[in-house]
Amino acid sequence: MTNKTIALLGQPNSGKSSIFNSLTGMHQHVGNWPGKTVEKKEGTFEHNGVSYTIADLPGSYSLSANSDEEIVTRDYIVKKDVDMVCVLADSSQLERSLYMLADFAGLKTPVMLALTMSDVAKTKGKDIDTKALSKKLGIEVCSVIAYDKKTFEPLYKAIEDTINYGQILNADELYNTLASSDIAPEYEAAIDIATGLADDRRSAEWIASKILEEDELVLRELKIKNIDKVPVSSDCAVKVSNARFAWIDSVISDSVTNSKKPSELLSKFDKKAIAPVTGTLISIGMMVIALIGSMVVALPFMGLGGSIPSILNPLVDLLSSSLGVSETICHFIKSTLVTSLGWVISMVGFIFGMSFVFGILEEAGYMARVSYVFDRFMGKLGLQGKAIMPMVMGLGCTMGSISGAKVIDSYGQKILTIAVAWAVPCGATFVVIPTLATSFFGATGGMLVMLLIFAIMFLHIIVTAKIFGRKLNPVEKRTGIVMELPPYHKPRWGFVCKNSLMRMWDVFKKAFSMELIVCVIFYFLSYSSTGIEGSALYKIGVAIEPVSRFFGMGWQTFMSFFAAMISKEAVLGVLSAIFANSGSILDSTTGLAAASDNVAQLVAAAIPKAEALAFIIAVTFNVPCLQAVTATYNETHSAKWTATIGGYYICTALILAAIVYHIAAIFM
Amino acid sequence: MNLTELKNGQKAVIVKVDGDRRYLSRITSIGLNVGCKVEMLQNVKSKPLLIYGRDTMIALNKEESKRIQVEVAQA
Repeated sequence: MTNKTIALLGQPNSGKSSIFNSLTGMHQHVGNWPGKTVEKKEGTFEHNGVSYTIADLPGSYSLSANSDEEIVTRDYIVKKDVDMVCVLADSSQLERSLYMLADFAGLKTPVMLALTMSDVAKTKGKDIDTKALSKKLGIEVCSVIAYDKKTFEPLYKAIEDTINYGQILNADELYNTLASSDIAPEYEAAIDIATGLADDRRSAEWIASKILEEDELVLRELKIKNIDKVPVSSDCAVKVSNARFAWIDSVISDSVTNSKKPSELLSKFDKKAIAPVTGTLISIGMMVIALIGSMVVALPFMGLGGSIPSILNPLVDLLSSSLGVSETICHFIKSTLVTSLGWVISMVGFIFGMSFVFGILEEAGYMARVSYVFDRFMGKLGLQGKAIMPMVMGLGCTMGSISGAKVIDSYGQKILTIAVAWAVPCGATFVVIPTLATSFFGATGGMLVMLLIFAIMFLHIIVTAKIFGRKLNPVEKRTGIVMELPPYHKPRWGFVCKNSLMRMWDVFKKAFSMELIVCVIFYFLSYSSTGIEGSALYKIGVAIEPVSRFFGMGWQTFMSFFAAMISKEAVLGVLSAIFANSGSILDSTTGLAAASDNVAQLVAAAIPKAEALAFIIAVTFNVPCLQAVTATYNETHSAKWTATIGGYYICTALILAAIVYHIAAIFM
Repeated sequence: MNLTELKNGQKAVIVKVDGDRRYLSRITSIGLNVGCKVEMLQNVKSKPLLIYGRDTMIALNKEESKRIQVEVAQA
């Protein structure tokens, strides 16, 4: 079967991801562009016996080369093995969203134009004559509604025709305008030197327009070839963009009719949603609703995940009694396969809930408002305004904040958001820590410990944002907000639900194997036939006690600290196993054995207060849990970044513990 | 006058945009070029500017927007 390659190109909010999802369904592959912190999204689909590979290129408003994302996009569309480019434009804001196509004009890669959101345009009274547009541009033009697969037939046909006939965008008018404008002398001079760079895919005219814009990539190419650049005045870039908009005006003047007057610009709700005080309040309200909403969606899965051991373990026991499989093997299966299956089911439930709720908010156009309202506040951390949403979700569950970070559109900032979100203590921490803190320090002391935790959290967020921001969003590259607030759309529940389900299944496949491996490793580390003292973990803990003492922890608390990286609930379980003999370390971590009811009191009697405080801080700011690590890997697609964040949190937790211990030891 | 001096509801035309190459390409590619008609939707102290231009609501960093020169449109 022949294989063709398509590049999907469009501005933010052009419906690009929705089209990509509808075209490729489950056949997607997400990774990184080699050597760059840029997400690579590719998918495949088949139509009429031809298989297509389609790349969802990082969205930007034009083909400038100001960020790694834009450079990746630029390089991709002029690659020799790309058969065609599909440019998307939002029909309801055609004039502005055609800028991408105007910037493409002059490239000789075969191209087509797909107009999205034609349903929204219609309600706005806009009528677009695609045939007239197609004639004017010399390429295939079609209308498509991203969430409605029934409207895809013209798109498939346009793709086939574009590949078969190799239509190239007619850009003569644009470049004639430039040649007769008041920057004509500069343009002519630029054309002269651009000829040296022109190739099969890039015309001299296009390169000349980039020279006038002082495009970094093109200027670098000139330097390599030792071609002197032409002197360009500072307003050339603005004039080139003016020429592009003039071209757009002339292109759409005959093909678009407006039958309705624009309605009131700001709806009543929007007036409130963006106002300084009510906007903040509405955002917070939305976050609470989102948190509750995603919990409600996730609850059935979490219930199922939680009951997996009680459903499957009796079956495993049956295996032992009927087939004579040894008890050790049954126990191994229970504590690895069954445990990780239960965990992964709860995890994907949460991811489904988050994807669904955030998907709806994003689709509806509300997320951009959050970005606007919190721009200043989060901007100080080097984060986008809407990063506040996933971070607040972290108070419920760190997995939630990690999968919620997918709303951040820049890959570097997404990793940054995840790295910072780990510092937010999760719901499980709020169950475990107060229990411990109160039994050590009494009710008032416990409250003070919680206040200390919040103070450290804010400090941690600021420091972590600074450390990770240096690489992921360098200060010198930070720019002020220039962002469109899209009009509200009625969200498509079924479409969002389907996409969330696909994502859930995808995560399930990857996460299950990863968690299983970790469970197996933990099984062997903690395996013992003779009680706690027989396990490798105990031996390691005792051996490094002289070191862990520096961080304020003895072998008991250190083992519990270690187990907390697998699950927060394990903190009490492991202490209980050690002090109350309630079961093995393994069973306590995987939840096979319950923690003893009076574990907190027993521990309080056995551990000095300074150590306890250091331990509480260390556990709170340690790696949140195995599922958070898995979710981070799934969201970043990068083992390197996942390991970096994990290592960073282990180190900072130990450093914090050391500081707290040595200060507390003076007073306690 | 520059864009940040517009009051809520005031309409104006962009007459000049200054700034480095990066800023120019970001601001023009979202549709705010010379000759573009804009309306100030919200100009408050602690938030970015919110303007309406080319059928679109756009949020802009205030500090950077001082580089956009406008002329108030005659009603």
